[in-house]
Amino acid sequence: MPQQVPRLAVLFAVLVVGFVVARESLVPDTFGDVGHYRAAAVTSIAAREKSYAGHRECADCHDEIAEQRLASHHSGVACEVCHGPGAAHSEYPDEVELPAPRERGFCPLCHRYDPSRPTGFPQIEPVAHNPLEPCMSCHDPHAPEPPEVPEECGACHGQISRLKTVSHHVTLDCTTCHATEEQHKITPRLVRPGKPVDRGFCGTCHDEDADSQADIPRIDLATHGEDYQCWQCHYPHYPETG
Amino acid sequence: MQGYIYPNEFELHWGLLVVLYPYITGLVAGAFILASLERVFNVKEVQPTYRLALLTALAFLLVAPLPLLAHLGHPLRSYEIFLTPNRKSAMAMFGFVYAWYLTVVLLLEIWFEYRKDLVLWARSERGPKKWLHYALTLGATDLSEEALRFDDNAGRWITIIGIPSAFLLHGYVGFIFGSVKANPWWSSVLMPVVFLFSAIVSGIALVLFIYVAASLFRSKPVDMRCADKLAAFLFYAMIVDFSLEMLDFIHRLYESEESIEILSQLIQGPLFISLIVLQVVLGTLVPLIALGVVSPALSDRGVSRTPAELRRLIYLACATLVQIGIFSIRWNVVLGGQLFSKSLRGLTVYKPLLFGTEGLLMASVLLFLPLVILWLLVKVLPPWLDAEATE
Repeated sequence: MPQQVPRLAVLFAVLVVGFVVARESLVPDTFGDVGHYRAAAVTSIAAREKSYAGHRECADCHDEIAEQRLASHHSGVACEVCHGPGAAHSEYPDEVELPAPRERGFCPLCHRYDPSRPTGFPQIEPVAHNPLEPCMSCHDPHAPEPPEVPEECGACHGQISRLKTVSHHVTLDCTTCHATEEQHKITPRLVRPGKPVDRGFCGTCHDEDADSQADIPRIDLATHGEDYQCWQCHYPHYPETG
Repeated sequence: MQGYIYPNEFELHWGLLVVLYPYITGLVAGAFILASLERVFNVKEVQPTYRLALLTALAFLLVAPLPLLAHLGHPLRSYEIFLTPNRKSAMAMFGFVYAWYLTVVLLLEIWFEYRKDLVLWARSERGPKKWLHYALTLGATDLSEEALRFDDNAGRWITIIGIPSAFLLHGYVGFIFGSVKANPWWSSVLMPVVFLFSAIVSGIALVLFIYVAASLFRSKPVDMRCADKLAAFLFYAMIVDFSLEMLDFIHRLYESEESIEILSQLIQGPLFISLIVLQVVLGTLVPLIALGVVSPALSDRGVSRTPAELRRLIYLACATLVQIGIFSIRWNVVLGGQLFSKSLRGLTVYKPLLFGTEGLLMASVLLFLPLVILWLLVKVLPPWLDAEATE
C-alpha cells in the first residue's frame, strides 16, 4: 500500500471522529423530537419568569387612564409597549417604578415617515416637525388626537422657514411663490405645493419695468442670464444681497 | 422608490455581501475547472497556470463563506449547519457541498500535486520552512516511482470527481435563485447553467490576470502560448455564457409573462448602468471583440497580428473588464430581484452603506482577503514552473 494512503486515512479518521464527537456532545438531547429544533426549548421558555403583566393588570389600579386609552386611537397599543414590562411593578408598586418615555426619539418609532406605512397613519419627519419640542407637550399619548392642521408652513418646513426669516424675502408669504391647496396640510405627500415654472415669475418683482418697491434689485430679463432659470443661480429662500 | 411597493419590500434583505458570495464561489469553480483542463483534458499550453489555478481556487474558497457569515451576523453558530443538518434546505445542504469540495477535492488535489515538491523542499531547506513543508507532507516522504505514479493517478481521479463537484458548487448558487418561483427575475431553470458558465468565464479571466500580472511583477517572461490559450478559452467560454444569457433573455421576452412590464422598467431604470453598460457592453461585448481580434481564438495568429507586449496588456484589460462584468451579473441577479415589488407595480432602490458588517468597506476587505491568502499560499507553495524542485 502506498505510504500516502495510511497517512490520509488517519487524517480523515481524525476529522470524522471529531465530527462525531462534536455532534454527540453539542447537539441537545431533544433536538429533532418534534421538528427541526430543540423540543425542550418550549418548556424552558414556558418556565421563564414572567416580566410582562398584561394591560388588564394595569387597569386594576390605573382604571381612568386605561379607559381613556381604550377609547382613543391608541386602543391597540398596550400599556407596556411604551412603559416596558410591568410584572415587577404590579407586584411591588411602590418599590418598582415604570419609565414613561418622554424623549423625542420614542414616538417616531411608530410615527416617523416611512413610505411603507398605510396612507392616513399619522407620520412626521422628526427633524422638521417642531424640532426639540417633546411630543407630549402637544400630544397626549393616552388620548392622542389627530393634530391640528398646522397654520404656518414652518411647522413642517422649519429649516426653510427659519432661513427665510433672516433673508430679504422675509416679508413674502410662502404662498406668494408656492400656490398650495389646503389639502396639502392634511396629506402633504399626495397633494404637493406648486412652484414657479419660469423666469417671468421672479420678473414680476425684479424686472426693470416691474411694478414693485423701488429698493428691490432690478435686472433686464432679456439680457441677464437668458439661458437659465433664476433659481439655478439664486436661492429664493435666502437670496444674496446686491 | 417609484410606484407601489409592499411594506416589507422597502428594505432589501440581501445586500452587497450576498452579491459577493456568488461572485467569489464563481471564481473558485471557474479557477478549478480551468485547472482540470490541463489535468483531465491534457491541454499542455495552460500547464504554467495549473498550480496557480488550484491555489487561486483554494484562496477564494476559504473566503467564500465569510460574506454569508458577516451577512447572517452569528458566525459563532455557523458550525450548527453541520451538526444539525436540515435535509430539506438547499442552503443548509450547501455546507456539506462546501466541506466536500474543500477537503476531498481541493486540498487533496493540491496535496497530491505538491507532495513530491514538498518532500524535496523539506530535504533541501533549513529552519521553520523545512518543518512547515515536512509537516505538510504528513510524513509521506516516499518518492519511489510507484509512489509518484500513485500521486499522479490519485490527482487525476480527484480532478475527475472535482469537475462535477465544481459544477455542483456553483450550480447550487444558481439553483438557489432559480428555484425562488415567486420571483420572476430569478425563477428560471437556466439560472444554474448561466451561473456555471459565468463562473467559468470569471475563473479563467482571474487566473489569466493573476498569471500575467504576477509574471510582470516577478520580472519573468510571460509564456505567451499559455496566455494566448487562456485568452482563447476565455473567448469561447464568453461566447457560450453570452449565448445562454441571451437565450434566457429572449425566452423571457417571448414568454411575456405578466411581470415583463416591470422587468423592462427595471432594466431601463435602476439596472441600466449595471446591466446594459457594465455587464453587456463593457463586461462582455468589448472584451469579446478585443479577444476575438487579438487572441488566437478565431485564427491561429489572431485576426489582427499584435506584438506580444501589446497582447499582454489587452489580455489584462479584458480580464479586468470581464471581472467587472461578472460582478455586475451577480449584482444584477441578487439586487435586481429585490428592486421590484411583488405587486409588479413599483420599484425600490438600493444604497450600500460605507461602514457596518454589510457595508462597502467590509465588501472591499472580503474581496481583498483572498488575494492576501493567495500571496501567503504562493509563498508556502510556489506554483511557478521555475520553483519546482528537482531531485
